[in-house]
Amino acid sequence: MSKRTLCALPIAMAVAMLAGPSAAQAPENVLQSLIDKHQSQYLTQSPQNLMMMPDNPAYDLIEDGDKLFRQARGPKNASLEKCDFGKGPGMVAGAYVEMPRYFADTGKVMDLESRLVHCMKTLQGFTDEDAAVKTRHGSSSDMMKLQTYIASQSNGMAWNPSTNHPMEKAMRNAGEVLFFRRSGTMDFNCATCHTQDGKRIRASVLPNLRAPHEWTKAISWPAQRVSHDNVRSSQHRVLECVWQMRYPNIKPGSDASIALISYWTDAARGQPAILPDLKR
Amino acid sequence: MMQKTSIAVAVAAAATLGLAVGGCTTPDAGKPAVAKPAAEAKPAKADYASMSPQALAEYLVFESNSYDLKQPTQEGTTGRERLVQDETMKLCSEAARTGKDLDAKTADRIREIAQASIKYPEGGIKLGDWKVGRELAWSGFGFRTAHNPDKHEPGRAPGANCYNCHQLAEDRTGGTLGPSLTGYGKLRGNSPEVLKYTYDVIYNAHVYFTCTSMPRIGANGVQSQQQIADVMAYLFDPASPVNK
Repeated sequence: MSKRTLCALPIAMAVAMLAGPSAAQAPENVLQSLIDKHQSQYLTQSPQNLMMMPDNPAYDLIEDGDKLFRQARGPKNASLEKCDFGKGPGMVAGAYVEMPRYFADTGKVMDLESRLVHCMKTLQGFTDEDAAVKTRHGSSSDMMKLQTYIASQSNGMAWNPSTNHPMEKAMRNAGEVLFFRRSGTMDFNCATCHTQDGKRIRASVLPNLRAPHEWTKAISWPAQRVSHDNVRSSQHRVLECVWQMRYPNIKPGSDASIALISYWTDAARGQPAILPDLKR
Repeated sequence: MMQKTSIAVAVAAAATLGLAVGGCTTPDAGKPAVAKPAAEAKPAKADYASMSPQALAEYLVFESNSYDLKQPTQEGTTGRERLVQDETMKLCSEAARTGKDLDAKTADRIREIAQASIKYPEGGIKLGDWKVGRELAWSGFGFRTAHNPDKHEPGRAPGANCYNCHQLAEDRTGGTLGPSLTGYGKLRGNSPEVLKYTYDVIYNAHVYFTCTSMPRIGANGVQSQQQIADVMAYLFDPASPVNK
């Protein structure tokens, strides 16, 4: 081995250690490592779901998403290979765990979904009315295939959203206020359900934001939602929570949703992402 | 003069052409197309980085076009009203966010507001039908809007949501966010004092548990007087599965 390679080794190892368990570890092994390391009713509530993970239907979406990503599409007949998710054009490895993040070209903090929509519109020429952009939910949607593929390239890596830019700090801090903001018919805020260990709504154990080893699984979307028979996104989860909390409809890619996702990603900082996950 | 004007026009035309060809006319990123006159100028977009977290949060809720504020609600209001916080919500949100215990003055204020909100039934607190109460306790239906609004209609009334957070009768699985209510009536009897206490907790639990997570089932209009009476019967009636 050359001297240069030898010198690079400690750095590479340090980077790998920072990233947590090997990125090559399957999602179910990432989850099992967390289960082995911590006592958590949330993480262990469904041995059946853990057993299903090697056959996660989300894997089909990864394959399709990978193809879609490289396919020339839309009025501009371009692929998404020049889309910058924060680590340079086309760089998807490790990009998702650093989002939401600030993008200078739009002047906004963006989550994966809104950044993807931005690239589909600017690089490929799609508009808000085209199905490719408009349809955000469902395993058969382009959106979910692309998101599931891109997110899977961060499996096993530590959540590490940037908070260097003032906008990133602002959105994360506003997201924290929103997390604790009670309103609506039932006086709910996110904290009502997500700030204690081992609590249940009916039979389901809830993840605790204050237990990062639980929260990493909680925010690991896209995930196959078994009871929906569909792979769901982070934005879909926000929408479902908003619905249950008796708040009005929240728009996909809205700044309020991105602020919340900024806060909830920061809360899982350092923990390995499980992508794609499988949930009830 | 004429020469200058026509050169200016030519330059402007060339610049516009250049911009169009360069693809710079993208309708994106929320920038205003036309600058407003200085007198009524508002910032094109609020400067998020210069706002306090609380100010930005309120802006995001009400001014960033994030929520459908005009969405109709089952109670005849709009989405906006679902997001406006009353004093109790504001005080309890701040306490939750900071993690600081409520000071005595704030706790007293919350209790005072709660007590004033409680409306007792004409003719006094009575127990209704436990069989109706059983279904109300189990039902999580009602008042949801967002992408899938609950339709309130005869035969499908909003439920009391009890089982989401509480264990009650042992024939059904309840949550653990709130204390178990199994054997509620059996353990407490049904004196007027216990009935009133229970009614108060259902109507507005803050009167005894300041900044509780329990929704203000009566004060917020989740359940009517009759429905509360039926839920109370489910809790107190010796024949109810809760007390078996």
